[in-house]
Amino acid sequence: MIPPFQYKIPKNLQEACELLWDYREKAKVIAGGTDLIIALRNGLLRPEVLIDITHLSELRKIEERDGIISIGGAVTHSEISSSPIIRTYGRILSEAASQIGSPQIRNTGTIGGNIVNASPAADTLPPLMVLEAMGKVVSKEGEKEVPIDSLIQGPYRSTLLPHEILVSISIKKLHPHMKESFIRLARRDGMAIARMSIAVLLQREGNRMKEVRISVGAVTPTPQRMKEAESLLEDQPFDLERLRVASEKISSEMVLRSGVRPSTSYKSPVVKALVMRAIQQAFENRQ
Amino acid sequence: MKRVGEIRVSFELNGKTMEVEVPPHWTLLRLLRERLGLTGTKEGCGIGECGACTVLLDGLPVNSCLILVPKVEGRRVETVEGLGGRESLHPLQRSFIEHGAVQCGFCTPGMLMSAKALLEKNPKPTREEIKEAISGNLCRCTGYQQIIEAIEAIGK
Repeated sequence: MIPPFQYKIPKNLQEACELLWDYREKAKVIAGGTDLIIALRNGLLRPEVLIDITHLSELRKIEERDGIISIGGAVTHSEISSSPIIRTYGRILSEAASQIGSPQIRNTGTIGGNIVNASPAADTLPPLMVLEAMGKVVSKEGEKEVPIDSLIQGPYRSTLLPHEILVSISIKKLHPHMKESFIRLARRDGMAIARMSIAVLLQREGNRMKEVRISVGAVTPTPQRMKEAESLLEDQPFDLERLRVASEKISSEMVLRSGVRPSTSYKSPVVKALVMRAIQQAFENRQ
Repeated sequence: MKRVGEIRVSFELNGKTMEVEVPPHWTLLRLLRERLGLTGTKEGCGIGECGACTVLLDGLPVNSCLILVPKVEGRRVETVEGLGGRESLHPLQRSFIEHGAVQCGFCTPGMLMSAKALLEKNPKPTREEIKEAISGNLCRCTGYQQIIEAIEAIGK
């Protein structure tokens, strides 16, 4: 059973900031609520007040201006996966959004919620990291623009302060030469959390790989870019041996960050195989 | 009379305007079942994984166990009770019966609502599109085959 709380629906962003400033730790922001309600039900959170930000206009739009696409924090996964702008210029994100949970969850859950809930398996984080997304954080104190990875502190812990709101996420329109691949592995396609996800962006120049960006989810305590593996591939000719070396780097990074677990002997070969597959798909532009 | 700690919410339920006073920590599922007596919508897992509580919110399928009542203010809610009754079955309901798509029946209301949302958007879905549309609804009896056939038959 969900314990009682007050419920506030601010009329505009300013009022939302005021409310959060007043209530601080006693309040919790609610957007789609798909993670929050479960936490309330399980007694993991006991807020006095919920502040609903779903309908605030700044959080609801997808806009394109000067080569930047801005996505409101309360835009749902369904809206992202069906947005023509995102499909054209940030396809890896719509690809990931279309695979989240179930249709019901995608119609309710939001991109901002997926980020600040900071699940190690958050589906939008690896794509947002390779897209080098920025988050706009607003509070009564002002507003700031920060890289998405700096919003993640640890598993289920964001760096957002209790009085701050993630208003929007922006990505640069991807150059058409950049090719992507997103692979998500779960127990089954529908409703299962990701056991592993790989996002790759790169540019192909003849037989060489340029601007290689790789991010993994559900492999390390927080999704992250794999810079060392990226540098092993950067401006190098495409060959399977090189991919194998890079994928081993990622596998050893996983062990380094997550430790050796009972699942490691299963996960390690799969991480390697999926990383190789994702890079190959992006290079051959097969997705 | 609104009691302390309750909020007033008005919304459209199966085509009729509704106004209720409930505590804001109630879910839409609880409101439907415990206050409005609409027990067609089922509670399975309560955490958005099984789809038994699926209703349509502004035409889109959602898990009513994850929707707090304040969120339905001004919106359109459709439940299985709005589909059809004993005397006036909805074509989907008839098709489910004809195809043996109902066994224990617990998942059926949610399945029907997901199927309705699909057919409204896409009147002739492919098998793959049907599978995708009901991927958020678990059925432990039928093995899904009959459900898929029942939905497919309507699209033809």
